[in-house]
Amino acid sequence: MIRDPGEVPRDGFFLLRGEERLRKWRSAWCDWATGIAVLVALLLTPLLAPFPAFAGGLDRAGLERLFPAPLVVGERDGHIPVWPILKQEAGSYEVFAYAFETIDFARIPGFGGTAPNLLIALGPDGTFRDARVLSHHEPVFLEGLGSEPLFAFVEQYVGLSAKQPIRVGRPNARASGAAPATTVDGISMATASTRVVNETMLAASLAVAREKLGFGGAQLGLRVEARPEGDPLPLAALERRGWVTVWRPSQREADAAFAGTGLDDPEAGEPDAPFAALTIAYLNVPPIGRTVLGEAAFARLMREIGPGGHAVMVVSTGRWNPLPEAFVLGSVPERLTVQQGGLTVNLRDAAWERGDLAPGLPAGPWTILRIAPEAGFDPASPWTLAMKVTRERGQIFPDKVSRDLSTEYRLPPELFLREIPEAGPGWTEAWRARAGELGIIAAALGLLVPVLVRQRGLVAREDAFSAFRLGFLAFTLGVVGWYAQAQLSIVTLVGVTRALVQTGDLGFLLYDPPSLLIWAFVLVTLVVWGRGTFCGWLCPFGALQELAAWLARPLRLRQITVPPRLDRALRGVKYGALAAILLSAALASPLADSVAEVEPFKTAITLYFVRSLPFLGYAAGLILLNLFLYKGFCRYLCPLGASLALAGRLRLLDWIPRRAECGSPCQLCRVRCRYGAIEPSGRIDYAECFQCMECVTIIHDPHQCVPQVLAQKRGRRAARRPVAAE
Amino acid sequence: MSGPRLRPRAERRRVLFGGFGALAALAAGPAAFRGLARARGRRSATRAGLALGTTVALTLVSDRPEVVEAAFRDAFAAIRAVEAAGSLFRPDSALARLNRDGRLEAPDPLLRTMLGFGLSLAQASGGAFDPTVQPLWTLWAAASARGARPDPRALAQAVERVDWRGVVLEEDGVRLARPGMGVTLNGLIQGFAADQAMAALARHGIADAFVDTGEFGASGRHADGRPWRLGLPSRNPAEDVARDHRQERPRTLAAVIDPFAGFAATSGDDATVFSPDRRDHHIFDPVTGRSPTALSAVTVMAPSGLLADGLSTAAFVMGEEAGAGLVAGFPDCSVRFTPKV
Repeated sequence: MIRDPGEVPRDGFFLLRGEERLRKWRSAWCDWATGIAVLVALLLTPLLAPFPAFAGGLDRAGLERLFPAPLVVGERDGHIPVWPILKQEAGSYEVFAYAFETIDFARIPGFGGTAPNLLIALGPDGTFRDARVLSHHEPVFLEGLGSEPLFAFVEQYVGLSAKQPIRVGRPNARASGAAPATTVDGISMATASTRVVNETMLAASLAVAREKLGFGGAQLGLRVEARPEGDPLPLAALERRGWVTVWRPSQREADAAFAGTGLDDPEAGEPDAPFAALTIAYLNVPPIGRTVLGEAAFARLMREIGPGGHAVMVVSTGRWNPLPEAFVLGSVPERLTVQQGGLTVNLRDAAWERGDLAPGLPAGPWTILRIAPEAGFDPASPWTLAMKVTRERGQIFPDKVSRDLSTEYRLPPELFLREIPEAGPGWTEAWRARAGELGIIAAALGLLVPVLVRQRGLVAREDAFSAFRLGFLAFTLGVVGWYAQAQLSIVTLVGVTRALVQTGDLGFLLYDPPSLLIWAFVLVTLVVWGRGTFCGWLCPFGALQELAAWLARPLRLRQITVPPRLDRALRGVKYGALAAILLSAALASPLADSVAEVEPFKTAITLYFVRSLPFLGYAAGLILLNLFLYKGFCRYLCPLGASLALAGRLRLLDWIPRRAECGSPCQLCRVRCRYGAIEPSGRIDYAECFQCMECVTIIHDPHQCVPQVLAQKRGRRAARRPVAAE
Repeated sequence: MSGPRLRPRAERRRVLFGGFGALAALAAGPAAFRGLARARGRRSATRAGLALGTTVALTLVSDRPEVVEAAFRDAFAAIRAVEAAGSLFRPDSALARLNRDGRLEAPDPLLRTMLGFGLSLAQASGGAFDPTVQPLWTLWAAASARGARPDPRALAQAVERVDWRGVVLEEDGVRLARPGMGVTLNGLIQGFAADQAMAALARHGIADAFVDTGEFGASGRHADGRPWRLGLPSRNPAEDVARDHRQERPRTLAAVIDPFAGFAATSGDDATVFSPDRRDHHIFDPVTGRSPTALSAVTVMAPSGLLADGLSTAAFVMGEEAGAGLVAGFPDCSVRFTPKV
């Protein structure tokens, strides 16, 4: 019986209609209802059970082990979970550091969906005194690289200041010239994880610092730069406006600082006579810098200090000179400090050649103090210039006593452009940095879609298509997998499950742009074509297996034939693995990470087979097995494939063309299908279909498709007839 | 019949050893005390922490290890309760709310105790101790941040807002009579915290303890039986400076209170200074709005920390003669003055 051939759509998009569609949805809904019920139960279990509070778990004994004598673990703060670590100093105590667990202050889900927890000891000056990883679920370290690289990564923070933004650089960034105060070396293959750890440490430390150390986040990443415009002004005008200040502390003021010490100034003049005279100018502001240095020198200085740097000029004309003759160009001045917000700003002499100052400036020893961008200096806020005056007593071993004299310097904020710390969250950087990889992958996907859609195009040309397929699989393995590290993995679903249960924050996905791009593509193709698009085309490990099988073809290895009943049972195993993993993830059990090791992706793709022997043996064994049992892992074990197969039931299209003869009597495609995705009835089991297109090629090839060949032999044209697979 | 004879012999031996032990104790003195303390299981334990804007440390001696943790916990809780009532280091304390709103319904009982004591001391000292000097602090701290002294006119205005009679302590609340007033209990809160911590330890049956909340309190003795001692550091700034320079740790002691029992509080010109010469610091004469210039430090010994702390502040403002007179009016109190160098 032959039906109307006019119904053959050109490109194989067989839309379900009417009753058929209804029936399909009904049966799909039954499957889905079960699936959803299981999932809901899964997600609710932890809510019904008393859920452990995910707060830091260190107690006094634990802290005392980490901070042994002579340090003393103080009583925990009454408000926030911070332990003062004290040291005894002349009978009283001083704060050595504030110790806390990051989980109590910044819970940023890591790549495994669970926030890492670190112990941080923050000194009263805001430097990291200690940093250790207490717990983490970063898949790349767990049983992969091992946790040691992560521990070493975190150790880099000791000695750095939490008051500055710290960036994760490339591996070896510090050795190759990155600013050591603001850069830590990253770990290749763990970019996303290290960024999460970095953000966790900085966010938690700032929260504690604001509370305990009284400094805010205002300085963090703040950029204040002088407005670029402004012409030179007469020096007198600058002084009138206070843009150039002349500070003349009197002898009386100097003596007052030493009151009570019994130390006098041997060269003291009259009490009202000036003790010192310093002319102070912040040079970055063009009207000031251009006036003082002249146009050319100003431009040169600004180039030298670079963006974000600052230059302050101090000219000494008084009796007491903070720049003694022994002062070395380029050194850190001993007697001059700049302070802001109670903190001393790091600076050094700019080693600027003497001789090209504005003629209006008084003659005298001078320095241009150079302040690095990392110093967190805000020229638009008031700051203090202090000079250290030292007096001596005694002849042979003189008793030296120092006192600071200081003055405030402030410029009107209108002279500056304030750039609030780059508001972009950490992940934007990841997208910028990987734009190239994203472009390449997007282009490849753009190439793949039309090929798969146009079934009478490339797909119908057997040799060309098979070359395309091999090429694309090589791309998937080499570029998507090994280079861009975008092997989708069940670990991501574990992370999502954990995040949904625990924090509801899925932001961690944003740190891995190539994977996210492929996830997005896969979700769309799931709805259109089913799981096959990913499993057959975009899974690097799948590609590895297929390429291995292709290379082994000349060996003519005998394939294992799995009896149909066993085959059906084995196919169910992957759903079991999926359920075990997601259940343990939802229950916040670390078991999820272990069960997820059923995936050899980390060994074969993420770690390039550089891993301990058992993992190596497992991955290699699967590839070997694949030579005898084609893609056995994918069909029987892969939990990710299972999840995609489940979600693939949402598929809208039955896109593989069928003929009336398919299954009865013709079994060609069923026999040729290496995935066992075609039932003897001719029906396609899309949950097992890898979209290799082989059966599509056959059905479009009059020399291969048996009914067509027969029809040709019989001399009449057989009509192809679409039957929606059911 | 060897069995029955064993017992008497053993007893005799024990008696003999006991006798020797007592003799050795007499002979060897303190060393033996220490040994005995160990034998009796008396251990001393110290717990430090941060409270009231400073480090605090509690030392206790107990032969029951199981109570030590609970005792520390409760003693720190007691200190935190005092903080929550009257510390200006905490923006959410009852006192901070009183200053912000000018009134406070149903104040914390601890705040009521401190305020009540402060006001009665203000009366007793003729206003030399005044809990309403907070506006002066605000003014001086702001000026000091600029590296200057306050403008005389602003200072005069601040002095006008200082008057302890403006604090109205009623049955159901506290209010400040005039806007712009501010109350500080920093002149007595550390001593009160020492009282409260000591009381908390006593509730756990701890009779031997030393508390340091910025002011000091002691009861009983060391684990080895020695009495507690309290060293009063030297107040000579020149000596300080020399020591700073040489990076020497131990402060020279001006005096040692030995034995030390009860409470001691020191008000000095070196705690929070507004000028490097310590002329301007955190203790104000409510009349002038400036720091009293005669003294460098006053230490008062008293039966309670609250009294010791309050009296030391009052005596610092009043000066040596009047201050000694004030302290003499309180039983079991003594005072030690250190003039400015």
